[in-house]
Amino acid sequence: MALFLLFEAANGYALFEAHGIDEIGQNTEAVRNSVTDLNRFGKVVKLRSFNPFTSALDALEQVNAVTEGVMTDELRTVLETNLPKVKEGKKPKFSLGVAESKLGSQIHDVTKIPCQCNEFVGELLRGVRQHFVDSVGDLKPGDLIKAQLGLSHSYSRAKVKFNVNRVDNMVI
Amino acid sequence: GRGGMKGGSKVLVEPHRHDGIFIAKGKEDALVTRNLVPGEAVYNEKRVSVQNEDSTKTEYRIWNPFRSKLAAAVLGGVDNIWIKPGAKVLYLGAASGTTVSHVSDIVGPTGVVYAVEFSHRSGRDLVNMAKKRTNVIPIIEDARHPAKYRMLVGMVDVIFSDVAQPDQARILGLNASYFLKAGGHFVISIKANCIDSTVPAEAVFQSEVNKLKADQFKPFEQVTLEPFERDHACVVGGYRMPKKKKDAE
Repeated sequence: MALFLLFEAANGYALFEAHGIDEIGQNTEAVRNSVTDLNRFGKVVKLRSFNPFTSALDALEQVNAVTEGVMTDELRTVLETNLPKVKEGKKPKFSLGVAESKLGSQIHDVTKIPCQCNEFVGELLRGVRQHFVDSVGDLKPGDLIKAQLGLSHSYSRAKVKFNVNRVDNMVI
Repeated sequence: GRGGMKGGSKVLVEPHRHDGIFIAKGKEDALVTRNLVPGEAVYNEKRVSVQNEDSTKTEYRIWNPFRSKLAAAVLGGVDNIWIKPGAKVLYLGAASGTTVSHVSDIVGPTGVVYAVEFSHRSGRDLVNMAKKRTNVIPIIEDARHPAKYRMLVGMVDVIFSDVAQPDQARILGLNASYFLKAGGHFVISIKANCIDSTVPAEAVFQSEVNKLKADQFKPFEQVTLEPFERDHACVVGGYRMPKKKKDAE
């Protein structure tokens, strides 16, 4: 059973495929060991497709949706284009690991792609986060941070701006 | 006059034991960081300019331990803060960004500070400060829900946490599970009466340390922030440390 992973980066959506998962099973400790080192990680998790955002505005729309656990049309296209087809009446032979369960259940409701969100997937996604720049061929080391910087400013500015009169949410 | 520290050649700046931090030797010694944006103060702090041998100038900003728990921990004699030039830091509870600006000085142009603050009021100051400091990535979001900012943050070397919430150990653990690399480090500031004001501070610190130990953290050291803060401690340690003896860096 193939396992794919969805990784939402500041500059685009990436899909990875996890290999040899049957051997290591869902043993968190084994996964932890194999994701830390890039060589070992590269053998276990491979990039399937990277789909860069088209503009800063596009990136902002995507981050706002991801934050709320919403699948955008763009994400849907990425998933349906790059993952195996789900045929009606047949049980899919793959699943998609996602970082957050709300997004996972929406993806499943709309596309019928089976999603999983658990500690095991979380460990694999830690590995993806650590080795992301090395896994996506065309990226230079500073590119991702530049994208994070631009996106965080537009995301945070909008939050502060649209809430000028809001009383701070004091917890406790 | 802007006070004793402004005096150019009279002030001597020496490196502190911690890489990226300095001591200005004047009438009184002061902790300083090298200003990443010379000419600009962030919160009206004093600045000292020092003439170098080649007649260029380097500007430093005074780092006040009464306003910054990290500075208080450094003066309290903490052995290692792990925040150093080139480090990637996730800063939880960034507030208006006063300490964040010093962390930004320390990590310098090759480092990154992901600064998370939930309050929109302080967040506005944080975002404004970050406009001038491009190694600060400002994130106005709730540190309790790291999944919400997973698109904005990369893997980091250090998490500094100053959220002053009863569940701060859990908040640190959650963020580490997403963003802190194995073998990375944490620095957490614990204010005893934010957690439980009915028991002695020392008991609160101990119970927080136990919670951290249960979450793959390995505390190395603990310092109190006296005389700068009351009933405050700073705990520093590692995350998912390798089982074997630690390799040389």
